[in-house]
Amino acid sequence: MFLLQKYDYFFVFLLIISFFSILIFSLSKWIAPINKGPEKFTSYESGIEPMGEACIQFQIRYYMFALVFVIFDVETVFLYPWAMSFYNFGISSFIEALIFILILIIGLVYAWRKGALEWS
Amino acid sequence: MKLPESFYETIFLFLESGLILGSLGVILLTNIVYSALFLGFVFVCISLLYLLLNADFVAAAQILIYVGAVNVLIIFAVMLINKKQYSNFFVYWTIGDGITLTLCTSIFLLLNNFISNTSWSKIFLMTKPNLVVKDIILINTVRHIGSELLTEFLLPFELMSIILLVALIGAITLARREKKIELEKNDFFNF
Repeated sequence: MFLLQKYDYFFVFLLIISFFSILIFSLSKWIAPINKGPEKFTSYESGIEPMGEACIQFQIRYYMFALVFVIFDVETVFLYPWAMSFYNFGISSFIEALIFILILIIGLVYAWRKGALEWS
Repeated sequence: MKLPESFYETIFLFLESGLILGSLGVILLTNIVYSALFLGFVFVCISLLYLLLNADFVAAAQILIYVGAVNVLIIFAVMLINKKQYSNFFVYWTIGDGITLTLCTSIFLLLNNFISNTSWSKIFLMTKPNLVVKDIILINTVRHIGSELLTEFLLPFELMSIILLVALIGAITLARREKKIELEKNDFFNF
């Protein structure tokens, strides 16, 4: 069922890390003194008094940055196998990837011109 | 390092239980922010499952796209809707729930039928008969995907960029229209 042992160390590491974090949290819960006060339930905000509620409504313009980020993230995923097999193909693969990137640069220019990349 | 088969089965068990508990958390928790964060946990578990199946590129893509980008989008969307959360655990059973239940159950049964009827071990060997099983495993998968993308799947590769362009322009247009509507509403309230 499992044929390749390339990631054995990674999974051992993952198991140890998860066990270790559980151990640390349970240890701190066991050692720490328990006294309840009103300050204990407020969220920590760099030492100052927390202002307003935790769940506030965001503005839509932050969403636009996330959308543009998703598009270029997907582009990066497609460029990674191209970079890995670049040696085998040479200049033709370079031109193919150039076309791929140029089409997306049109999108970037559009986003730039429409002001999707600006704060305020 | 050669590890026994039971080690992988233990990891598989951990991942499966994490997947099931995480997806139950996504559905059952009434606070929608916790649901979105649990969805990220489920995505990470799926990526580790891919890694366990030796699909390392798919696992990396899962982390990059689903955890890094799509889950951030979902959390942003949750932050955008400022809905009051339900205080009681069991909300009313509506007609939409019934439709969703029948659809999900039928999809589950259909997939179950397909998975049990497909002979998985023969698929790759049928397409490339002269390759031995050992060789298939030792190929660097990312390099293999790259060479396939640049030769056989060149046209889909270039079409993908056009799809991404369409998605980008459409998203910007939609978001800008939303802003305009918001502005008009503000003007309306000012009058």
